Amino acid sequence: MATLQPTFTDIQTERKTIHFPKNLLLEAERYHVGVHLFVAFLALSIGILLGPFQTFRRAPALQWEIPFFSYYYQALTLHGVLNALVFTTFFIMGTSYFVFQRAIGRPLKSITFIWVSFWTMFIGMVLAGYGILSGQANVLYTFYPPMQASWTFYLGLALVIVGSWIGVWHTFITYFEWRADNPGKRLPLAAFAILANFMMWFSASLGVAIEVLTMLLPLSLGIIDTTDPQVARILFWFFGHPLVYFWLIPAYVSWYTMLPKQLGVKLFSDTMGRVAFLTIAIVSIPIGAHHLFADPGVSETSKILHSALTFVVAAPSLLTAFNIAATIERSGRKRGATNMVDWFFKQPWGNPVIAAQFCGMLLFIIGGITGLMNASYNMNVALHNTTWVVGHFHTTLGGAVFLTYIGITFWILPMIRRRQLFQPRLATAMVYLWFIGMLIFGTTMGRAGIEGATRRTDLGGAGAYISDIVGMYMNGAAIAGVILLISSILLYVVLIGTLFFSSKPLDENEVVPVENDTPQNEYIPAIFERWGLWVGVIALSNLIMWGPILIQAINLTSGYWSPGYTNLMKP
Amino acid sequence: MSTMPHDQLHIDPYEKQWLYMITIALGVFFASLLAGAVIFGVQPADAGGFVNPQKLNETIFAEPGVRHMGGNRYEVVLLAQAWYFNPALITLPEGADVTFYVTSSDITHGFMIEHHNVNFEVVPGHIARAQVKFNRVGEFKILCHEYCGTGHHIMHATIRVEANPEA
Repeated sequence: MATLQPTFTDIQTERKTIHFPKNLLLEAERYHVGVHLFVAFLALSIGILLGPFQTFRRAPALQWEIPFFSYYYQALTLHGVLNALVFTTFFIMGTSYFVFQRAIGRPLKSITFIWVSFWTMFIGMVLAGYGILSGQANVLYTFYPPMQASWTFYLGLALVIVGSWIGVWHTFITYFEWRADNPGKRLPLAAFAILANFMMWFSASLGVAIEVLTMLLPLSLGIIDTTDPQVARILFWFFGHPLVYFWLIPAYVSWYTMLPKQLGVKLFSDTMGRVAFLTIAIVSIPIGAHHLFADPGVSETSKILHSALTFVVAAPSLLTAFNIAATIERSGRKRGATNMVDWFFKQPWGNPVIAAQFCGMLLFIIGGITGLMNASYNMNVALHNTTWVVGHFHTTLGGAVFLTYIGITFWILPMIRRRQLFQPRLATAMVYLWFIGMLIFGTTMGRAGIEGATRRTDLGGAGAYISDIVGMYMNGAAIAGVILLISSILLYVVLIGTLFFSSKPLDENEVVPVENDTPQNEYIPAIFERWGLWVGVIALSNLIMWGPILIQAINLTSGYWSPGYTNLMKP
Repeated sequence: MSTMPHDQLHIDPYEKQWLYMITIALGVFFASLLAGAVIFGVQPADAGGFVNPQKLNETIFAEPGVRHMGGNRYEVVLLAQAWYFNPALITLPEGADVTFYVTSSDITHGFMIEHHNVNFEVVPGHIARAQVKFNRVGEFKILCHEYCGTGHHIMHATIRVEANPEA
């Protein structure tokens, strides 16, 4: 006999006392979380495969054409848009809904809003995807004008962002209602982090929204004739750096709130976790000009100021390193560790959910250090737009963020499917192969960058300049490509296996639920939850940090001179 | 254990030490950044002003090329366009101290010289200015590092630094 489960509507009308089944998902949850993940991994299945084939293309030993794509930069655009924009956004919205609902013990206000948000993003993805696949948007995922793509591409990206805004506001509305019903109750850390992330995402994406709506979309529709490339780059990078934190915070949520439970210990410091999330949400926006260190239209003073504040945003990540390492040490002590180093080894390294997160953290040590180097505004002279940068963000986004998302997936997918993970050993092998592959990829691309290899360049194309030493590193990167390709295939074997071929039912008692507890012995200042105040701080700090840059770049008598170019990006 | 005060932020003593270490480390990083900029003069390219990419023939970019400014000082006016740099070959004597003035007549390009500290974006509408000294004899590529379309990977030029016979 199946136990009678409460429906979503029952719970929503009740509003106050809600008990989610601890270790399983409600039907409605299965559906909306599952569909978000399905689209995310559908997009990733194409995006992820294009990666290794780029390494094969660039290696002098191979110089293969990328399958199905005669134009290198079309494949590159698709790789970036699918992996970094579509996969991440769908994954983050789906899992954030799930974790948020479980953490506060209340479903989101309206199933309808969830679907409106989902379909808006989905239509956006289809439109942007059409633009790219039809060859009318070979502009890479940063789409700097005066390169001009088809209107479908820009409208599609705009819809993905607008769709996520619906989800963001929906989550905030749910939170405000929960807060009204539960005055004085502690907001669980996971929910706090998701709100901080959404606040940051909404504030920052206003920049790219303005860029798309005032320049790119009207240009592609023929409403305006010219744009200003420098102003567009400024608006894009107002958004671009918080974007990487939008990806990172869900991984941190897993490290702070899932991982301790999965390891069977308590988080070292809940309060300092909140400090870290809040600092990231606020400081990640007024530093984005570190992506513009090489731009001629941004002043030296602004570059130094943004460089300095970029060091400040390293602080919450260093706090996280301490907090999570201390938590992991507790896990090691619990498993019998006695000295200063053995706690690191006395961990469940064979568990794919946990190993994925650990490997992500190890890659993030490299990603973080290389990030600080990029942020140093004069060291950037040697590194800007070289393959070094590619090495950096494949150890951050392709390392810490991606592997943690995979850890989350290996944990959440069995709950959705109500079957055990298919072949956990393959899943573990996938994780370690990815770790090794990214380690080699990051190292070879980084070294090649120092030798002067430019990024986003078809180094295997006829007439491309490639020095001998860069060629050697590119061959090394192709070896990493082979390893990452095998890992990607294993990933999909595990995912498809869990969906269709796993026969073992899930033992409910073995599933680790979402953490919704807050330590009662820690004092959490009420000011942390004053979102209006933090939005004010965000507005003010950006007025100070970005205002002068914009004023300098927008010249009333000069600028806005560049017509769009559509014919330069054709195979 | 004494009961915890419930009106102030609790930070573990070890975590406090870690916080101090973070602050010092980041402070040192920033100080060395400033030292690099001020003492060694390693700075990114700076702004050389606005220029209308549609009317470049009315500016210095009408005639790109190398100008000798006396002594070891040179000025290079360089125009980037899809997909070449003009001039495509620049010959300089060893020890030349060169100021580059670069802009684009079409879309955004990049400019970097192999094994030299010069690296900037060439954004249409702006002149990028950068100074670099060539102390090594040899051939160095100028590479476009910002994706600029079909021929992006073939967009490179050469700087030939020749040994100075008087030295």
